[in-house]
Amino acid sequence: MSVIAPKFRLGYFLKGIIDNALWIIVLVTLIVVPLIQVLLIYINLPVVDGELLTPFLAFTLIFHPELAVPLVEAIIRSDLFHIAAFPGFGFAALMAAAVIFVERKMLAKLQLRVGPFYCGKIEGIFQLIADGIKLVSKEIIIPDKADKPIFWVAPLLFVGAAAAFVALIPVAPGGEEFDNMPWVVADLDVGLIAVFAVIGFFPIITVLSAWSSNSKYPFIGGIRALHQMVSFEIPLILSLLGVVILTGTLNLNEIVQSQTSFPWILFLPVGAIVFFIAMLAELERIPFDLPEAESEIVAGWLTEFSGMMYGLVQLGSYVKLYAFAALFVTIFLAGYNGPSIYPDFPQDIIDDGIIIPGMTGPLLTVKPFTDGTAVLDQEMINGLIWFVLKTAAVIFFILLIRGVFPRVRIDMLLHIGWYKLIGLAFVNIFIALGLLYSGILAPAGAF
Amino acid sequence: MVGESVAPYSNVLLIFGFAVVATAPALLISRMVSPGVKKRRNPVKFLPMECGQVPSGHGRTHFMMQYYAYVLMFVIFDVMAIFLYAWGSTLLNLPRTATLPIIAFLGIMFAAMAFALYQSKRKNIW
Repeated sequence: MSVIAPKFRLGYFLKGIIDNALWIIVLVTLIVVPLIQVLLIYINLPVVDGELLTPFLAFTLIFHPELAVPLVEAIIRSDLFHIAAFPGFGFAALMAAAVIFVERKMLAKLQLRVGPFYCGKIEGIFQLIADGIKLVSKEIIIPDKADKPIFWVAPLLFVGAAAAFVALIPVAPGGEEFDNMPWVVADLDVGLIAVFAVIGFFPIITVLSAWSSNSKYPFIGGIRALHQMVSFEIPLILSLLGVVILTGTLNLNEIVQSQTSFPWILFLPVGAIVFFIAMLAELERIPFDLPEAESEIVAGWLTEFSGMMYGLVQLGSYVKLYAFAALFVTIFLAGYNGPSIYPDFPQDIIDDGIIIPGMTGPLLTVKPFTDGTAVLDQEMINGLIWFVLKTAAVIFFILLIRGVFPRVRIDMLLHIGWYKLIGLAFVNIFIALGLLYSGILAPAGAF
Repeated sequence: MVGESVAPYSNVLLIFGFAVVATAPALLISRMVSPGVKKRRNPVKFLPMECGQVPSGHGRTHFMMQYYAYVLMFVIFDVMAIFLYAWGSTLLNLPRTATLPIIAFLGIMFAAMAFALYQSKRKNIW
């Protein structure tokens, strides 16, 4: 018998990290930095505030906050920032991490688990970090006869598809300065259809990874995932048709703006309930977590994933959870609309910034940008707060259901999906048609 | 122009690519930090997981799922659902009388679905 855990030493572990860091430093100095310098000759540098943004000017701007305002504006309004940080991937990943943390705490409260309360001094916050380190430092084991390229790529594709879903959700209003362009990565005319297109990728990725692993439990789990996602896609799609009938648009931002007076959940509660249940099934969460049923098929389609590959699938599924909750908020709960939480900034602060006696220059500039836009856009912050609050509320209900419900059988699941939810979704469509033709709800000048 | 109408979609692709590029280093770092696979190679470790039993047979086999009927129905009703969106999003611009054919269409599809669901209970025919 071989030794199960032969000579693990903290010293070796640290040595590995230091070695890798050393190699990274050497490679960066010898290859990357000269490459950047050569590339700078050929790249057209952007013009910010009438000046060519050379690296020298960029560093100067960074150390003079007053001067850096145009630079910050240019960065915030760039597509790359949208994609990488705020309405895009960074924001979603942050929300996903928060959801994981809150979920553990909530489940611990609901089911009398104690771990998440003890690890770390502050409310068990170290549990997340410990999990991350554990996942990274675990060895990735791939079964011998697996289709290795597909197996390696599947978790990345899962994260990517979840991120593409996030890209379609409008997070905050843009304000009048930007022609009411919302804070969204991709503002599409057919946003809702694009959402369905992205959702359609998940079963394919699941089945691909399950098939490529050449193992039986993942295969059974993958087929279950396929049946489940495919069956609940139809009630999911049909339950949103009512909103589309009443608004006459497929653009998610216009759907949000149509709810300034009242959210659609007041008029289409049936659709909202059907969408919520179908959402749980698409997310593979309890009571519909058959593809990952631990007590039946080990871990379902995740069985052969180990180490960071499993971590990436988890990241992807929590980003997907955030995206679905955000879609629910966008369509049924009025998105970023909401009353103003705090009073308007005083005009002198908007004009001059916050000035502290004895300090040269303002502490916090809310001064409008050169083209008249403000750094701290009050409308945008207000909308963002409402959006995050509503999303958190929807996520709370998803987590609550995980805490209190048992798992259903697969024939019951398919029965619920095909017999009941589709029927209710049709009822919802006829409610919407009734509201429209009876004249209760119709856009001005529609008939 | 085609390019202009397609341009917003590129952001969806870009965020997809960004997510892949941003999370792939996690796998590489894990590969570097974790104890080496090659160094301690043990054939048992690379067997498919079958709860400690010695695996028998292939992983990619025929598997009788018994719910094939639903997947067949999905092929039809998913397309129907998307067609309904084409109708629903332009409903406000259509005359009222145009709704009747759609309701007839819904009725036909609903009857067809009821028949298919009735048949799907007879599992031995699938």
